[in-house]
Amino acid sequence: MADPKKPRAAFAPWDRRQLPGSFDVEESARRVGNYKWIEMRLFEVLGGWVATVPELDVKMRLGSHCYHHAWHAELWHKRLPELREMNPERLTEPPNDEMVAFVDAMTEPEAAEQTIEKLVGVYRVLIPHKIAAYTYHRNNTSEITDAPTIRSIDFILQDEYADWRDGEMMLQSIITTPEEVDRAAARQAELEKLMVKAGGITGPGTIGDPYDIPEQ
Amino acid sequence: MITVTPEEFTMVEFDHGTILALVTEVAETVGHDASVDITVEIDQDIPLIGNELRGIDPVEIFVEGGAFEDPKRIRQFQPEAARTIVGRLLLMAADRRSEDFGEVPPNEEISLLVATAWNTYVVGRLDRLGFRSQRQRRLYNFRNRHGFTDTGDAAFDRLWTAESLTWAEIVSLSDDAAAARPEAAV
Amino acid sequence: MRNLFPPEDLARDDRFVRVPAEARIEDPRSNGASNPRSARLKPSQRGGPDGARSMMHGIFVGEIQALEGAGRTCWDFEAGSDEYQVPFELKLDMARQCWDESRHVEISIKLSEHMGTEIGEFGESAFLYRAACNPDPILRLTGVNRALEGLAIDVFNSMREFGKIAGDPVLTFCEDWMLADEVTHVKMGSDWLRKITANDPERRTRALEFQRVVDKLFSFNGLRGDDEDSPVRLARRFRELAGFDDEEIDAIAADALEAKNETASVESVGASA
Repeated sequence: MADPKKPRAAFAPWDRRQLPGSFDVEESARRVGNYKWIEMRLFEVLGGWVATVPELDVKMRLGSHCYHHAWHAELWHKRLPELREMNPERLTEPPNDEMVAFVDAMTEPEAAEQTIEKLVGVYRVLIPHKIAAYTYHRNNTSEITDAPTIRSIDFILQDEYADWRDGEMMLQSIITTPEEVDRAAARQAELEKLMVKAGGITGPGTIGDPYDIPEQ
Repeated sequence: MITVTPEEFTMVEFDHGTILALVTEVAETVGHDASVDITVEIDQDIPLIGNELRGIDPVEIFVEGGAFEDPKRIRQFQPEAARTIVGRLLLMAADRRSEDFGEVPPNEEISLLVATAWNTYVVGRLDRLGFRSQRQRRLYNFRNRHGFTDTGDAAFDRLWTAESLTWAEIVSLSDDAAAARPEAAV
Repeated sequence: MRNLFPPEDLARDDRFVRVPAEARIEDPRSNGASNPRSARLKPSQRGGPDGARSMMHGIFVGEIQALEGAGRTCWDFEAGSDEYQVPFELKLDMARQCWDESRHVEISIKLSEHMGTEIGEFGESAFLYRAACNPDPILRLTGVNRALEGLAIDVFNSMREFGKIAGDPVLTFCEDWMLADEVTHVKMGSDWLRKITANDPERRTRALEFQRVVDKLFSFNGLRGDDEDSPVRLARRFRELAGFDDEEIDAIAADALEAKNETASVESVGASA
């Protein structure tokens, strides 16, 4: 065994985490508040929809997914005070009015015949955007100073990927005619336009700007 | 001749003609001896599912109203359930009349275990005649009486698939299955 | 999507048939007693296994409605501290209950396959969900999580006993797990009732009165009781774990006995008619 008193590198050769990050505490907290807000809207509507969908397997799946997003909201609720926001409700808000319009439109369907519209809104529009927002945050925040956020995002992304796959499988099994393909596509386009107006889950800049090329 | 009583139903929404036609069709399907008369008495006051064979020549079938009732729709007739019950009791009557089958004790002297085994044998035959048989329900019933064991399940399969058993063979299969129950070994 | 989704609109596929409450009440055979079963369900009874199948199907549709009820509580009430709002953490509990009830539906379907019951084989009434429609969140929570989930404790315990007596390892295993979840749900109801009404004794009284009304409605004409031969026996130990005190359990037992006596008297009048 090596001499335990012999000095070692504080960051082992395999630990390549970097200190710099794109977000300061305030920006991280703002984004986390947006995350909590959208996770709440999502678990609420999934719970509400359970009674409105006749497909038994979809009904049960929405019930399970409802809890996943509630748990995400809880993680962000607990993270906010750690980011110097002692009143988590203050930052639990949408990034802009356009995001409110998106959520209003997404949660509008109620009729038993609208399972396609309900599922498309969540699994083909919202969740892909959430995955994008979380991935951007995870890859741009400081791996050292914001490690607790990264840890939560890693857990959350596991759920998001699994739920996305579940939702897509349900949709593919329900969409069986050309007319239903059109319905799903129209619904996706309608909501995607609203999401583009909102600029993403945390507003403009949610996933950065690839056209913003640094000068050489 | 086939007789169904009562002729008019007031407590449930059953139709005498429909039931008479159903019993006639079932008798033909299971190969009932047309020279033996059949009477079906329905106690429409009772919403339970009891039913029994009270005589074999003529065949006397007694059912509580709930036995012919749709479990989804209160007081409505369910032809599928009625077909299976009538078919089962007609086959039991045929077994009792058959010399090859052997002597069968009176209903009240047959244990619940053996009665369940006989039911399994009869409904298995109905299944092959195209009746609604609910095999898993029958297996669950059999397991509740004879135990949740591999030996019990094998006895069930033998009863369910058999075309020609004697009363003694049914009793033996039932006894062997019951003997394999964990509590029976204690 | 609107708030307060009515029981008539609960979405089902074609296998399910809703039995209106009036159909049971107007059934001339029942004399007002909706269920003629009057003794503890046992595997050794002639109709025991079929009775268990029927009860299991009732549990199955009850779980669907419990899932729908918990989901609606997530949607119907905003997070906040006003009378018709609920704490954020209560909403999280309801979401957790959604997941639990989803699992219970899954378990019930597997169990139904094991027992030879088809989905929708028996009629469904929307009694249970009706209690989940109260516009006051704390009354809703008390009616659902303390009265109905409390009843679920009694039912699951009775079914677990049935499974043990029959030597049915699948039934016993499933009921044991569901029973654990129900104790958690009742405890949620007890804890939130205490917290939210800590400074509002009048509201607590109203909530407990609503719970009692629901409890009485679900006493099944005396089907539930404290004596050993009751078809659904009060599970005192599990209720204590879930936050009921002795006085409350005694009151439920007394109401159940009263319901049983009322049913007996109705049946005896009917018998002599």
